[in-house]
Amino acid sequence: MTIIRKASAFEILNHWVLAASFFILAISGFGFLFHLEQLNAVFGSFNVMKDVHNYAGLVFTASLILTIFHYLPVSLKFGADDIAWFLKGGGYLSKKAKVPPQDELNAGQKLYYIVILLSGLAIAASGFAVWLRPQVPDIRKLVVLSHLVHNIAFDLMIIAVPLHIYLATLANPGTLRIMITGTVPLEWAKKRHAKWVQRIGY
Amino acid sequence: MARKALLISPELCIGCRGCQTACKSWNRLPATKTVNKGSAENPPDLTPNLYNKIRYVEMPSNSNTVRWLFVSQRCMHCDDAGCIKICPAPGALFKTKEGAVGFDKDKCIGCKLCVAGCPFDVPRYDEKDKVSKCHLCSDRIAEGLMPACAKTCPTGAIAYGDRDAIIGKAQKAGYQKLYGQTDLGGLGIMYAFKDTPKVYGMDESPAIPETIVFWHKVLKPLAYWGLGGAAAVSLLHYLVIGPKKDEGGE
Repeated sequence: MTIIRKASAFEILNHWVLAASFFILAISGFGFLFHLEQLNAVFGSFNVMKDVHNYAGLVFTASLILTIFHYLPVSLKFGADDIAWFLKGGGYLSKKAKVPPQDELNAGQKLYYIVILLSGLAIAASGFAVWLRPQVPDIRKLVVLSHLVHNIAFDLMIIAVPLHIYLATLANPGTLRIMITGTVPLEWAKKRHAKWVQRIGY
Repeated sequence: MARKALLISPELCIGCRGCQTACKSWNRLPATKTVNKGSAENPPDLTPNLYNKIRYVEMPSNSNTVRWLFVSQRCMHCDDAGCIKICPAPGALFKTKEGAVGFDKDKCIGCKLCVAGCPFDVPRYDEKDKVSKCHLCSDRIAEGLMPACAKTCPTGAIAYGDRDAIIGKAQKAGYQKLYGQTDLGGLGIMYAFKDTPKVYGMDESPAIPETIVFWHKVLKPLAYWGLGGAAAVSLLHYLVIGPKKDEGGE
């Protein structure tokens, strides 16, 4: 069985830094949204949780920007096969469904990345605005707007991320290893990323 | 416990600022050095160490050289308080049993969202980034005393009592509707205005910013329904359709 490399060590590391910071941010974010005082058992107090949330946001932002190098170029290549992939529900709606050949990322993964990148940048920018309160003519208006943007972006991510986790684990056995060892069997890649496999010369 | 309130009557106010001084005295707030900018209004704005102040409004008048209005201002102790709504720290801002909006500096996390959520631009932040504002002398009224400002007011421009009784008395005195009687679920500070609120420097129809209401009603519940929904859809897909299996080499 031929094994090929799909993700570099740096990409894997960055993915887990992003994931870990996201979990810290989402859990503390839920704590702020719903006043979950049970979280004091983890963070100690809401004062500490705020600092953890802010600095985890810094890590998240840096990590998110690094993902651009790994995923943005391929995600922006959106063609007929991607549209056809969506029209067939990504092959997830039936066992018999066949989808057109996909690139390094399939159409769903591309969309997911764009959603995460845009909502991530929005949540970061609005978070920094609330945290750092820049010198603007009407800071109260900016904070109200940032609060809105921060929460819309959070809602998008809190829906997208669980789907991502499901699709990368239970729904597609053999996928998770890309974010652990970085490698996949050639046969597996041929079925799911035919265009990419062809492009890299197999 | 009956909801307590203040009734401010600007026409009774003589601008003596006894209320400002009594407030500072009771709450042990230091004085701040200010600069004369051509108005007797002093200090010019609420600060972390100034919970209440008198706004001096100078208007042209036919019967007099000038019409001088004195409007005592402080936290309005909204029933539906934007600051409490948006506050992410449990217990930092809260309703007392007398209906005042109290605060707890130990629980405040210094995020300053309440500043943006307040329709009246009241909350201020101290040097430790903790919320600071009028609390209707919660410590006094809990003991049956009146707030320091009302206690010291020599003319009755600041009247304190049960909110319903205040409204009843004002109606008997000929005020059909007080400012703040119904705004934001009913304010704890009401005004007996003889002219439009604008003349006294007040918002005609104060409201919590719409996006904060939208967030509270839609975006906030969507966070847990969205998370739960995404998890449920995943589980359902796994049970009904199942994972993509590699059906061997083709």
